[in-house]
Amino acid sequence: MDIAFLKLLGIVILTAPLGGALVCGALGPRRLKDRTHWASIFGVGAAAAAALALLTQVVGAVRTSQTSGHEAGGSHVSATIPVYDWIATGARPSASPPVAAPIKGLPREDARLPHAPMELSSPSWFRVEFLVDPLSAIMLATVTCIALLIVIYSRDYMRHHDHAERGYERFFAYLALFVFSMCALVLGGNFLLLYLGWEAVGLCSYLLIGFYYGKPSAAAAAKKAFLVNRVGDFGFGLGILLIYITFGTLSYHDVFDMIARNVDVTGAALDPSKLTTLALLLFCGAAGKSAQIPLYVWLPDAMEGPSPVSALIHAATMVTAGVYMIARCGAIFVHSETAMLVVAVIGGCTAIFSATIALVQTDMKRILAYSTISQLGYMFLALGVYAADSAVFHLFTHAFFKALLFLGAGSVMHAMGGVIDLRQFSGLRHALPKTCKLILIGSLALAGVPLFSGFFSKDEILHHALSVHPALGIMGLVTAALTAFYTFRMFFMAFAGPLRVPEGVHPHESGSWMILPMSLLAIGAIFAGYLGVGFVGRPFHAFLEPVFHNTFLASTLHGAHEVVAAAPAGHAGAAISTGAAAGFMAEYGLLLASGGLAILSILAAYVVYGKNPWIAATVRATAPRVYGLLWNKYYVDEAYDLALVRPLRALGRLCFWLDEYIVDGLVWLIAFVPQAMGYGARGVQRGALQGYGLAMGVGLAIVVTVVLTW
Amino acid sequence: MTFSSLGHLLPELILLTGACALLIVGLTRFAKTPSALSLLAGGMIAGALVATLLIGIPAEVGDLPGLALSPLTFYVRWLTLTVGLLLILLNWRQAEPSEQGEYLALILFAMLGILLTASASDVVVLFFAIELVSVPTYILVALSRRDVRASEAAVKYFFLGALSAALLAYGLGFLYGASGTTSLASMAGVWASRLQPASIAGADMLVLIGFLLAFAGLSFKIAAVPFHAYVADVYEGAASPVTALLGFVPKLAGFIALIRIMETVHWQLPASVMWLIWIVAALTMTVGNVLGLLQTNVKRMLAYSSIAHSGYLLLALLVGPALGAGPMSNGVTALLFYIAVYGVMNLGAFAALSSFQRGDRTLETLDDLSGLARSQPWPALALSVCAFSLMGFPPTAGFLGKLYIFSGAFSLAPDHAFRMPLIVLAVIGVINSAIGAAYYLRIVGACWMNRPREEVASVPGMTERLGLNIAGLAMLVLFVAPGPLLTKARIGAASQARSRSSSIATAVDPGPRGSATSAETSLAAHEP
Repeated sequence: MDIAFLKLLGIVILTAPLGGALVCGALGPRRLKDRTHWASIFGVGAAAAAALALLTQVVGAVRTSQTSGHEAGGSHVSATIPVYDWIATGARPSASPPVAAPIKGLPREDARLPHAPMELSSPSWFRVEFLVDPLSAIMLATVTCIALLIVIYSRDYMRHHDHAERGYERFFAYLALFVFSMCALVLGGNFLLLYLGWEAVGLCSYLLIGFYYGKPSAAAAAKKAFLVNRVGDFGFGLGILLIYITFGTLSYHDVFDMIARNVDVTGAALDPSKLTTLALLLFCGAAGKSAQIPLYVWLPDAMEGPSPVSALIHAATMVTAGVYMIARCGAIFVHSETAMLVVAVIGGCTAIFSATIALVQTDMKRILAYSTISQLGYMFLALGVYAADSAVFHLFTHAFFKALLFLGAGSVMHAMGGVIDLRQFSGLRHALPKTCKLILIGSLALAGVPLFSGFFSKDEILHHALSVHPALGIMGLVTAALTAFYTFRMFFMAFAGPLRVPEGVHPHESGSWMILPMSLLAIGAIFAGYLGVGFVGRPFHAFLEPVFHNTFLASTLHGAHEVVAAAPAGHAGAAISTGAAAGFMAEYGLLLASGGLAILSILAAYVVYGKNPWIAATVRATAPRVYGLLWNKYYVDEAYDLALVRPLRALGRLCFWLDEYIVDGLVWLIAFVPQAMGYGARGVQRGALQGYGLAMGVGLAIVVTVVLTW
Repeated sequence: MTFSSLGHLLPELILLTGACALLIVGLTRFAKTPSALSLLAGGMIAGALVATLLIGIPAEVGDLPGLALSPLTFYVRWLTLTVGLLLILLNWRQAEPSEQGEYLALILFAMLGILLTASASDVVVLFFAIELVSVPTYILVALSRRDVRASEAAVKYFFLGALSAALLAYGLGFLYGASGTTSLASMAGVWASRLQPASIAGADMLVLIGFLLAFAGLSFKIAAVPFHAYVADVYEGAASPVTALLGFVPKLAGFIALIRIMETVHWQLPASVMWLIWIVAALTMTVGNVLGLLQTNVKRMLAYSSIAHSGYLLLALLVGPALGAGPMSNGVTALLFYIAVYGVMNLGAFAALSSFQRGDRTLETLDDLSGLARSQPWPALALSVCAFSLMGFPPTAGFLGKLYIFSGAFSLAPDHAFRMPLIVLAVIGVINSAIGAAYYLRIVGACWMNRPREEVASVPGMTERLGLNIAGLAMLVLFVAPGPLLTKARIGAASQARSRSSSIATAVDPGPRGSATSAETSLAAHEP
């Protein structure tokens, strides 16, 4: 890999969207107005082009390293590229401090004085550095390309009857800023940049959820997202501090290297429990950002934001940051079985838990939001069962079909004049034929129908889960059936039956600015999965293999067949053993089972919601308790309100009272003393000169007396 | 002194020439176009800046009586002249046209004073350099506007300044009496050899008194408690462009002089004096911030902010050079870095005040600022960036400055005798930053949240706004890429570490020149 070229590409990936955001913000309101989207499109487009070029470079490097027969997993496909030194820190405590030689003739206690040489030695820095490896390359390409499509889509979505909505330029500025932040998160080569990007995407998410800040529900949702994420980020921040304390550096390369050598900053062996603590703290952050139990509550509310935002930030990219982070920190996680178990269990539970809630919701975007939470649960489940490559693969395919579904929902919403409640309309296949087809593709992929992308990636995860934690695997299978059911419940409710629309709405198909990006995403939703199919040598997994070679894939818990599957295509044939063959049999059995389940669930949804809507009503009537529980989302929001929000509010009121009366009172008291002194000496002037002089003289006299009589 | 050695003083000579030229040209018919004079002043400063950069870190020149060029000289030259350019932008047309020549010349003289403070090697030169900074500022306050408040402020400032100059001269006199020499380097040598190891603990009463008096005199310059009382009145009385200068020029000169004096005592003070400075620093921070909370006049608010910032800088001074491990712990580096950042952000805030007017006077109170963002979004943004920087909030350079200062205390060597008190002081500083945030945020809030009272108008000309924008941008850029400034600050502070080790070496080896050369080589070996 040509380091200088990669560095240039990295700089373009970061500066182009940032520049786009600045141009939108600076020139949008006065100059560009209705044309603001171009600044965003060009910025994100340049980043996407650079990200694809970067991906090509890395693909080339991986291919050379694999054909030239190097030991896979070597560092030659991973490059840490320093950009510049940012914040100077103290010398690393690991660097042995120069012992000041006692100077002859000086008393002993003075020996520590001449530290000058140490001071003049070059400091250690927090660097701005890029980490380019297959994982970051694939993430960057996904993020920027999907972002580009969504920015293009937003051009029409954010205007009505060809008039730009209020805040048009603000929207595009935030969107480009988000792309910058997300790229910084992924590209950053140390935990500090990861944290900065992490917080910056959180900020963008907050700004965009609250885009319609005049609407109280949107403002509340933005606040909720921010605060819930704060809980996770607190743990994440502590984790990063612990990393710095333990290893004396924040650079991925150095930290992972030290873990591999099993030393900490002092050179002692690592305490395994410390790694567990570290992994769990980092997982707190991931659970917040990626909406896992117990911090998932913000994501459904985040749908208050405009639909392109839901598609980009709250489905395809930002919420997968947690998955990326854990995949990146595999070196930390795989050393702790506890942490891995926690990740797997939380992932599995989240998947099934939110899938059940999605069964009864009627807001199309909320159904998709719960489905996103559930799919993220799958990804965490995959990470927890040492199948990081499958997690990233599912992340990749999910980005296409979930973005497609949200954009489709946006198209419906656009046509329905902002209404998104499934009870308000039906039979839209007549009014919105293109959107209907596109959503159908997205739904098929999400439901895991064979030959669509979601099928392959989900099936892999189930396979790994069943072989490591069978119970979680079965939960995953049930979730898969539920997923297919609620997805097609949504589809049939919206598009089947006679055409029915809300009062006063004249449905119209969206324009080509919206249809084109959706079509491209649909192509991805169908075909992206084939990158991971065994028949073509699983190029996606082979590409990622060097990243996870020494972490997830090296773990003994990982089944033997996996090593074969993940090995480069050229070596696969030689390594197949009888055990592996049995593994393949099981895998194909699972393929059939999960595919069949998906199709059966879709049929069930068709019977219930497409043909005989009375069945649903009957079920609802016979089990009102269960229905109510699901409809109210297990009352989790209410429980949080009672257990956390109210006590904290009370504490807040107490602090406010203390501040208002006690602290302010103290301030006034402190201020009153000099004022009173001033009044004593005040003549015609405002502030007496003699008084000031006297204060100086008295002050000096006190000082000299005290010091001399010490 | 030979002619060639004068070449090392080129920046100072250019400033001197420029100041004299301005005095003369100000009397000719060119004075009718004030921009011409401002252009001349700016050009002279730019010329001096170019000369500084060409000379780079000056070599030690033996035959400049009373002056010793050092890496610190380079840093102070560079910093003063750069901020000086911004100050000229702010003062482009502040003075009455007939007084423009004198006015600008005084600014140049004050800057010349700072430059000489940094390279003075003799207490007499040091004293005169400090006074060269002070006297022009008294006059500038009076000249800045036709207003009885300005005259009153100037008189107050002058009398109290004279008092502090007396204290400083008295203190330096004691130091001379105790050492028998006026040369700072020889003084350091005398303390090192005659007193117990590089510390004046319980030793010479004369040294102690001299140090205390000099510290008191300089405390006035940096506006430390209890010598701070004049600040709010003077800041309020002077016009904003001059106030921007008052926040930077005397403070820089005062801290540089303090560094020079600390050098002579090898940064080793008896516990009683350490505690004294500790208390002064703690009081300065706290008084500044608490009184700042009560102000509604933004200029008074920034005056108290200036006091509080002196407290933070005193903490850095107490940490001193090279006591811990690494640059984050070098108090002098942190001080030099933060004073540069402070000068620019403070200047930005005053530039915002002087860029706009309501009726016929420029902005002064929070009420004047209200709703500024509505009509002037970009200047309001630049002002907010400066306010956030004063607060020490990322992503601004003020955050990094505070980070370096506070982390200095935390990274002191565990066996450092004064480690715990300094950590406590750093905690006090952090709490003070939080208190200070309350009033800085009121500035931001007034700009963005309050309803506009009446239309603000831009002052004629755009130099003030240019200065404001540069300051705001600099705060962001210095956060993203602090490296160049930090490297310069480290080089500036390196002379401290050197002087300290060399003077200790002097104590062992009575050949002063020889030891200086050995220190020189060790410096060269470790410089990146």
